Amino acid sequence: MNVLRRDFVVREPLLIGVLVLVAVVFSTITHAYSQAYDRRRNQLGQQWFANGNAELQKSQPVAAVEDFRTALLYDPQNWDYRLSLAEALTQAGHTKQALNYYQSLWQANPKNGLVNLHLARFAAQSGNVSEAERYFNGAIFGDWPAGAADRRRESLFELIHFYLQRKDAGQAESQLIILSGNLPEDPVLHTRVADLYSQVGDYERALGQYRLAFHLDPKYFPALYGAGKAAFQMGDYRSAETYLSRAAREDSAGPDVRTLLEVAQSAAALNPFDHGLHESEKIQRVLRAFHIASARLDACPRAPAPGASLPASLLTLQAQLKQWKPNANPRFLMSQPDRVDALFEFSAAVEKQSQSFCGAPSTEDSALLALANSHALDEK
Amino acid sequence: MSTPDTTLNSPAPRHDSAASVATTLRRITAQLSFDEDRFFLILAVFIGIFAGLAVVCFRITMEWARLYLLGSTLTPSPLRAFLAPCLTGLFISVLIFTIFRGAAGSGLNQTKAALYVYDGYIPIRTVIGKFITASLAIGSGHSLGPEDPSLQIGAGLASAVGTRLKLSRKKMRLLAPVGAAAGLAAAFNAPISAVLFVIEEVIGHWSAGILGAIVLAAVSSVVTMRLFLGAEPLFRIPSVGVIRWQELVAYAVLGILGGIASVVFSKAIGWLRPKLKATPQALQFLYPGIAGLLIGLIAFAGFPQVMGAGYDFMDQAMHDQYTWEVLGILVGLKILATTLSFASGTPGGMFAPTLFIGAMLGGAVGTVERLFFPNLTGSVGTYALVGMGVLFAGFLRAPITSVFMALEVSGDYSIILPVLVANMFSYLISRRLQAVPILELITRHDGLSLPAMEEKREEETLNVEDAMRTRPAIVLDGTKSAAEAWPFVSHTAEPHFLVALSNQPPGQISFGELQHLVEAGDTRPLQSTDALTVIPYLHPDEDLEEALPLATRYPMIPVVNRADLSQLLGVLNLEDVMEAYRKSHTDFPAPY
Repeated sequence: MNVLRRDFVVREPLLIGVLVLVAVVFSTITHAYSQAYDRRRNQLGQQWFANGNAELQKSQPVAAVEDFRTALLYDPQNWDYRLSLAEALTQAGHTKQALNYYQSLWQANPKNGLVNLHLARFAAQSGNVSEAERYFNGAIFGDWPAGAADRRRESLFELIHFYLQRKDAGQAESQLIILSGNLPEDPVLHTRVADLYSQVGDYERALGQYRLAFHLDPKYFPALYGAGKAAFQMGDYRSAETYLSRAAREDSAGPDVRTLLEVAQSAAALNPFDHGLHESEKIQRVLRAFHIASARLDACPRAPAPGASLPASLLTLQAQLKQWKPNANPRFLMSQPDRVDALFEFSAAVEKQSQSFCGAPSTEDSALLALANSHALDEK
Repeated sequence: MSTPDTTLNSPAPRHDSAASVATTLRRITAQLSFDEDRFFLILAVFIGIFAGLAVVCFRITMEWARLYLLGSTLTPSPLRAFLAPCLTGLFISVLIFTIFRGAAGSGLNQTKAALYVYDGYIPIRTVIGKFITASLAIGSGHSLGPEDPSLQIGAGLASAVGTRLKLSRKKMRLLAPVGAAAGLAAAFNAPISAVLFVIEEVIGHWSAGILGAIVLAAVSSVVTMRLFLGAEPLFRIPSVGVIRWQELVAYAVLGILGGIASVVFSKAIGWLRPKLKATPQALQFLYPGIAGLLIGLIAFAGFPQVMGAGYDFMDQAMHDQYTWEVLGILVGLKILATTLSFASGTPGGMFAPTLFIGAMLGGAVGTVERLFFPNLTGSVGTYALVGMGVLFAGFLRAPITSVFMALEVSGDYSIILPVLVANMFSYLISRRLQAVPILELITRHDGLSLPAMEEKREEETLNVEDAMRTRPAIVLDGTKSAAEAWPFVSHTAEPHFLVALSNQPPGQISFGELQHLVEAGDTRPLQSTDALTVIPYLHPDEDLEEALPLATRYPMIPVVNRADLSQLLGVLNLEDVMEAYRKSHTDFPAPY
């Protein structure tokens, strides 16, 4: 009987139907059970994530780390939780752990812009240039969930700052050229780019960006001031005077602007190398510069500090000054025009040498010094 | 020419029609029917599904228990850490001593006992008891894992299904490992490792007959589990990356340390468990609570990582979140905590704690190596992963599973070399210093005599060639007559002789028949006489075990070449077989 029954049971395909039915019932129960648990998990995950964010806002990253870790207990693959934990670890000073965490995130999603940016910062901090460049590029060309263009641009800004910190002006300028070619019409951004151009010493491109900025917003003070400074650095004192005058009219203008404006005005008035300047006017300006320089040298204390003496270079200049004084007049210079530039160079040398030893310069001294530097650059 | 159909109008044809329908149904049913073997494979799939669903429920219950008992924080509050494992331990004792007597322990040995002692039968009460008590124990922070209980739950469900279907005893015995593999695969989310573990530690030998069912059950359970819990592993696996050859030295060191840790772990359990079991029952009732209290103290002292299965902390170790000092301390504390939990009889497995200890040890070795050779060391996570395999090989003494587990979990074949190097050292050290494997030791503590899998795996298989005599005394030529053959045999005492035949295996003739042919003056060649008996033959590579039944039935069996059946290579008889077995057993020293 048992054999018959076994045979019946084993051979009967209806049995498979019964097993399917049992599986369906069991699955339904399990589904309901797991759904209830999933809901609770999600709820707890969100709750701990919110706690973590609150702790971060209260600048308590250590507590935030614990909260985010707990949140991840309930949703281990949640990208936001993982990213926040990495951020909290960074803020808590657990650099190594944070780095490892970001690396694991990178492995999960190598195209994520934010993860690349954080890894780039770590690499930049440790001075690993090739890794920093790789990750910065990952951030610049990576995926961003929102505001991709802005985040990519900011990553490029960070890369440029990284190069500037490493005094690699060439790479910084290359990236700046790329950046400036893709800027939206925003005076703030143009001004930021122009400031960076100024930092790498490319005042011409800097001025171009400042102009674009105040073209968009004619009253935008940082652009006007920056343009004034760039023009001043380029030796274009007339333009500098114009930009700085406009900047000085803005409410946000401080004493620095006015000081620089006065120096620019003075430099514009003193500049003997202005295009189209008549010879007699040039001589007048050179003589004026000589008087400013000689006054500076005469006013320079005999000893800059007790027990110290003036450096030999200044003593030499004082001796030369005595030689120049009888000849520092229009008649002599008109008769010997080749001495005009020499006299100016003497004045420039006085200003350069005295700036370290003879106290704060006057506006005219500063203007003359700027002219001296600008002239030296031109000569180069 | 057609004839009108009148069958619908008469009762008799209606009867014929019903019979026809019944016949058709019977035919369809017969076509859809399965023999027991084929049905067994289908049953394996269902067992896999049921085991997968049960493991999903088990894991969720465990998580609920953790939530309620330890709170929702990653590291429980000191009060909960201190009280939850202790009080829950006492409650579990009540359950085990009153309702679920068979639920204590890990579940692995109970499954083996079911297979070898009770014909694959596991009472459903034990399954329910294991489900409840293990989820409470692990959820409350006892240092145990869910894998071994899952294995037993799977095997128990399989047993329940088999019992309901009144399967044959033989099939019932096969069903337990099928369910065990399904349960383990779902618990660890790794079907290949589960299949190998069950073969290595439960069945002990490869059998083509059961392999298909085990694989089907394991795969279907993992698929079922992933439907509910997702495909993500229990811990995030770091990328392995390039492993430099110089690093193999560090992996060898990891293997040595893993071997030592395995021995310490085994010795600790081997020492404490029988001592606790030997005490009065009233005291045994208290042990899960006392173990919980001590684990709570460890957590209270600042190491809550030792509580529960510890997968979240393994994840952290794999991602370089601990210093080597902390990792080293965790190795020691986890060994202590697991020894306490396990020896106290608290239900729960050793699979997860073994992986935890391995991960921490691997992480520590990787971190130390990085201190000295910062440019050489790859990911610390790789060391942690290899460390898991190392403990698996050394402590559970499952070397094949340990290698495949690392491969399956990492999904990266570049890990195989460090795993092989480290596991080899660990396994050899463990074997040298701890002769009896831990599972065998536990079996002995429980007073059972189950097959020792390590011995079984290494048992030498004897082939026919190991027993056969290569030079049979006399082989008669089948083309010769009896009279011509007689001078060769007349002086011997052999009762039977082989007769060589052209293009076919040798036959056999008895002394008496040969004598009768000679006396009758039969001049026909021996191969043409009726006295020649056709007998079975063997090949040298055949299993001696399979040859034994033949040897009991025939006085001698020819051993012939597979390519040329007429080429006689040797002769085998029952005495040869017995002698070979005797010799093989005297060749092996006693293992303990």
